[in-house]
Amino acid sequence: MKRLFALLVVMALALTAVSAFAETKVNFFTGKIETIDLLNGIIDEFNAQNPGIVVEQEYQNDASNIIKVKFASDEVPDVMTTYEQEFVDQGKYMDISDVNEWWDRLIPSMRDSCTDLKTGKQYRICTNMTMAGFFYNKEIFAELGLTPATTWDEFVKNLEVIKEKKPDVVPWFIFGKEAWHLGHLIEFIPHGYLKQTLGALGCKTAMLNNESDKLNLGAADGCMAVFAQNMLDLQAKGLINEDVLTATGDNCTEAFVTGKAAMFSNGMWALSGILEANPEMADKLGFAPYPAYMPDSQPVVLCAEDSGYSISATTENVDAAKAFLTFLFSAENQKKYSESLGSPSAFKDVEAAWAPEGFAKEVSNVLNSAVNIGFTNEKPAGFSGDDAGRMVQDLLAGTYDAKGFAEAYEKAWNEGF
Amino acid sequence: MKIRKVNWTQFMSFPAILLYSIFFVYPLLKGIGMSLTDWDGMGTANFVGLSNFERFFQDKRAIGDIRTTLIFAAGSAVFLNLVGLGYALLMERPFHGRSAARVIIYLPAIISPLIMGYIWYFLLQPGRGFLYHAAEQLGTTFFLGKWMNDYPTTMTVLVFVNVWQYAGMTMIIYLAGLKNISTDILEAAIVDGAGSWQRFTRVTLPLLMPAIRINVVTNIIGSLSVFDVIMSLTEGGPGYATESLSIYIMRMCYGSRTGYSTAVAMILFFIILIPVLISLYLTKEKSDA
Repeated sequence: MKRLFALLVVMALALTAVSAFAETKVNFFTGKIETIDLLNGIIDEFNAQNPGIVVEQEYQNDASNIIKVKFASDEVPDVMTTYEQEFVDQGKYMDISDVNEWWDRLIPSMRDSCTDLKTGKQYRICTNMTMAGFFYNKEIFAELGLTPATTWDEFVKNLEVIKEKKPDVVPWFIFGKEAWHLGHLIEFIPHGYLKQTLGALGCKTAMLNNESDKLNLGAADGCMAVFAQNMLDLQAKGLINEDVLTATGDNCTEAFVTGKAAMFSNGMWALSGILEANPEMADKLGFAPYPAYMPDSQPVVLCAEDSGYSISATTENVDAAKAFLTFLFSAENQKKYSESLGSPSAFKDVEAAWAPEGFAKEVSNVLNSAVNIGFTNEKPAGFSGDDAGRMVQDLLAGTYDAKGFAEAYEKAWNEGF
Repeated sequence: MKIRKVNWTQFMSFPAILLYSIFFVYPLLKGIGMSLTDWDGMGTANFVGLSNFERFFQDKRAIGDIRTTLIFAAGSAVFLNLVGLGYALLMERPFHGRSAARVIIYLPAIISPLIMGYIWYFLLQPGRGFLYHAAEQLGTTFFLGKWMNDYPTTMTVLVFVNVWQYAGMTMIIYLAGLKNISTDILEAAIVDGAGSWQRFTRVTLPLLMPAIRINVVTNIIGSLSVFDVIMSLTEGGPGYATESLSIYIMRMCYGSRTGYSTAVAMILFFIILIPVLISLYLTKEKSDA
């Protein structure tokens, strides 16, 4: 009896070991907190339908930095949402240019956005698009007879009217404690100007090769200095919140949904938070582009790739990783994803109600009327968006004048290379 | 051949030495090597000699960070010891609710400093915090309206929060020191006619020297390597105004300048070592006297 029991135990252990070896584990690494639950549901479905493959999601708040540690320690996830040009240059991602079943369904411009400029290949695929511009309170604008500005002068005039007629309302709320937010202002306004004047490809090349004569970052009449002067003027006139350096994103949402702020700059990722805080905002939400602020420039709006996925160049589970992504990219799952994220799908065959109808229409109008720009992936590795944001904090704290800011920015940019 | 006998003590200390070597000596040596390279964290590391160290002293931001770190450490170390000692002297005396009072004073020390920082930010946030609104009700907002726009006030707030959190820990060490002072000595001093101030300065303080030594050294080390309190309250800002060296090291490391950040970590090691050695020397002399 004892022998039989021992034999059964050994067999059970052996079976466990064999099944463990037969199981392919796919580590999926993400920094997107807003999609954790949804993706866990999709992953559970995939795991149930694919015996032998187990996908595990790992979320890290500071994913863009944690991934560096993972690369350095050779604990590279099979699939990841983090993507940096320096990792592309170092051959960290698998070339997925030939996975036509994905690309054939994608909007062509989104494929262009996913293309590495240096090699012309694709090392990631993005399932969604995101837009950034000014969210404004339509009710306040209608009450004061205002329309969204297309030039900087009109923009300032709008803010002045709001301040004069509604002294309790912050005309433009900036949550400057969060450096990334100020970094985004640089990304969308002065970098946006560079992208529209040099062209998307020309700007990427100029940034990648640090062609300072084209970027002209430090010039006294360049895009950085004018942007800095405009921000200082708004601050001096009291057209932005007084606590610009200490206000947080939550403060901004609270002020906006309670009618204490008329507008703020952000991307579509802010939408779900606003509607959650006050569902009645669905009818009051307006969307406007960043106004033209340099001579001969046009309003711009960010229309960029979102939710990108890459496969590690060193993964041993290529087939399992591709199978998981194919499942994730199915029209049914992408509809759920798009509606949950509040961001339109980049797949042609996915029709999702990603935002309240009126707001979605307004976003669509802005995309058609303003110059569409993408994110800058070609920034120097040693000068992040947060670094740029901290320089704007310094500007608003009085450390720089406009000219000094532009010079310091150019210096930091060059040192970042 | 003569075989050297290993005694029991040496044998028992082997695991500790092994762990110390693996987790301290090896990383230290590796770090020294890394600080002499331009390693970005992933690619090839090229030897660059002492250029990382040269660059550090030419970087205005880094020099500003040294200033912030030293001001924070000086303020924290001094006030932690003064407040901790004050608490200990109060809590040594018997009174109703003494145990509860000790627990309340010590409680902040066991809460994560990051969480503590965020709580204090909600209390102190300029124009929005609870204390700001409470002060407003009294008719004045004191410094609470714009404390992050003024460097001295920001540093004062940072030191205050740090002292508030860790004074309880300092108090515990001082209480243990006070317990060790024999009542016979104090009674003898009373018989000799010493007043309370004389008893404190001539008897209590010299006999507290071992506790002072521990507190001064640990507070200097803790304050010079400060990260979490500043990160949660100001994130080193506005801009880089209140950035400490530890935050600078982290940002450089994540900014693909791993070799350089390791060099800065080496510099921080010496910045900590010098005051620690000085304070050890000064307090040793006193405790030996």
